[in-house]
Amino acid sequence: MFEARLTDGNRVLLSGRLDASQAEQLKSVLDTVKESCIVDFSELQYISSAGLGMLLATQKRLSESGHSLKLVNLPPRIRDIFLVAGFNFVFKIE
Amino acid sequence: MEKSFKRELRTLELVFEFVDEFVTSNGLGEDVAFPLRLAVEELFTNFVRHNSGGQDRIYISLSRVDGRLVVKLKDFDVERFDGMDTPRVNVHESLEERKVGGLGVHLIRSLFDTLEYDYKDRTLCVTATKTLK
Repeated sequence: MFEARLTDGNRVLLSGRLDASQAEQLKSVLDTVKESCIVDFSELQYISSAGLGMLLATQKRLSESGHSLKLVNLPPRIRDIFLVAGFNFVFKIE
Repeated sequence: MEKSFKRELRTLELVFEFVDEFVTSNGLGEDVAFPLRLAVEELFTNFVRHNSGGQDRIYISLSRVDGRLVVKLKDFDVERFDGMDTPRVNVHESLEERKVGGLGVHLIRSLFDTLEYDYKDRTLCVTATKTLK
């Protein structure tokens, strides 16, 4: 079960398991983001390349207008995946 | 353990149940379970996306052999698809240079010790192994 929720104007809360079959759900939420935004991973249990790709595509799109995503509260194993993917070079991770 | 799954992304729910059953029956920890789920998902979704003309079922085998975790996926009656051709991801590229996609194989290569593709008689077999600590 995966859920992506825009909790207020600039915070997206992710929860559950984000696999390839759920990536479109994430895309539909991220596509509504037009300005700098915080993505909260505190309730996310799993992510694969499909979810990583959606985040990277959004970061590239936002950067064209001077905005960006900030990723917060990454559980240790998900943080490890982000480091392996080199996302620490293209996202602000706290 | 071996099982076949219907070639579609929504089958992933059943694929994860299969992986979790293997993890539980082998007493493996989350430190192994996480990369295992990731490798199986990445390979399965690659088969679904790249071998769309193949048979209806994709076969997944999980085993422990001599202290190693062995993940094997087989796909029958498919055109040649060599995942080793996937360009290496340069994780040091800038945001402007980074391309979306290609991360799945990169993650498996990083988290597992070996990743081998074997294509013969229209059957593709991909094997990933990881030493258990």
